[in-house]
Amino acid sequence: MWQWFHKWGSPKWFYELSGRWLPWLTGAMILFLTVGVVWALLYVPPDYQQSYTTRILVVHVAVAGTSLAFFPIMAVAGTITLVWKMKMADMVAKTVAPLGAWFSALTLASGSIWGSVMWGTWWEWSDSRLTSMLFQFFLLVSVVSLRSALNDSETAAKACAVLSIVGCVNVVIIKYSVEWWNTLHQPASGLSMDSGSVNGPEFWVPTLIMVVAMYLFMAVHVMMATRNEILRRESRSQWVLDLVATGRPAS
Amino acid sequence: MFDGIQFASIGEFLSMGGYAFNVWSVYLLFFLFLLVNLLGPLRRRKKLMKELQRRTVLTERQRAAANE
Repeated sequence: MWQWFHKWGSPKWFYELSGRWLPWLTGAMILFLTVGVVWALLYVPPDYQQSYTTRILVVHVAVAGTSLAFFPIMAVAGTITLVWKMKMADMVAKTVAPLGAWFSALTLASGSIWGSVMWGTWWEWSDSRLTSMLFQFFLLVSVVSLRSALNDSETAAKACAVLSIVGCVNVVIIKYSVEWWNTLHQPASGLSMDSGSVNGPEFWVPTLIMVVAMYLFMAVHVMMATRNEILRRESRSQWVLDLVATGRPAS
Repeated sequence: MFDGIQFASIGEFLSMGGYAFNVWSVYLLFFLFLLVNLLGPLRRRKKLMKELQRRTVLTERQRAAANE
């Protein structure tokens, strides 16, 4: 256990391992994305009330669901940073935050475009799901700007870790907002085995494929960005100098 | 494989049951979102590598100058 922990704490080890994993993860991501998008655009049947706008929901639900993972990931990384001062955990926390802001922004935009025809409104301030998701977007933007505002990287790491842990409260609010306050946004439909029903497999199977694609996309982006961060922070260490000298950027 | 396709023609496919603007703009945003977040790190990596290479060359020159 401790040996495992030490390995993960080593930037060099992470760099080498992620170099070996990235081609596979990228391949899997392309596969799931292609199947998900083709299925959603060509095969998802029109809903009797929503017509083809359900195709928006395949993207919206997958992106929104994945966006809730960001604060928990950052909180775990933040706790490791605070307790064990592991450099790797903070590098991951740093690269995850901006992507989370992108996920939240796309959730808001796609939901809004869907709502504009199905609800007849682009935005509703009184809806708790909408406002709590907007709040998550602002929280992630503030985590990113907090880090860039603080010059001392150790202070920045600590401050971001604390904000990430506190931000998890909002994830719970987003998750249960549709049940606690019943306003505009509908609760999750659940999965039905009946094909032909509103939430039958013809909708949730492509959505699930898209959810997998989104987690793979997150993994690919975070690995690439974390590798850059490693090179930047470790640019004085011998193994990075060797890597640069050989001119082989691979693995 | 083509049995389940929900369209008879390309025109029908593009119109998305009258919701063409909404469906296609979401998918356009989705692709932009993917593209920006995949190409961004790749570009930063290239810049970083160049910068690091430049720095190694500089330190080697300095070392060579000090040895003379």
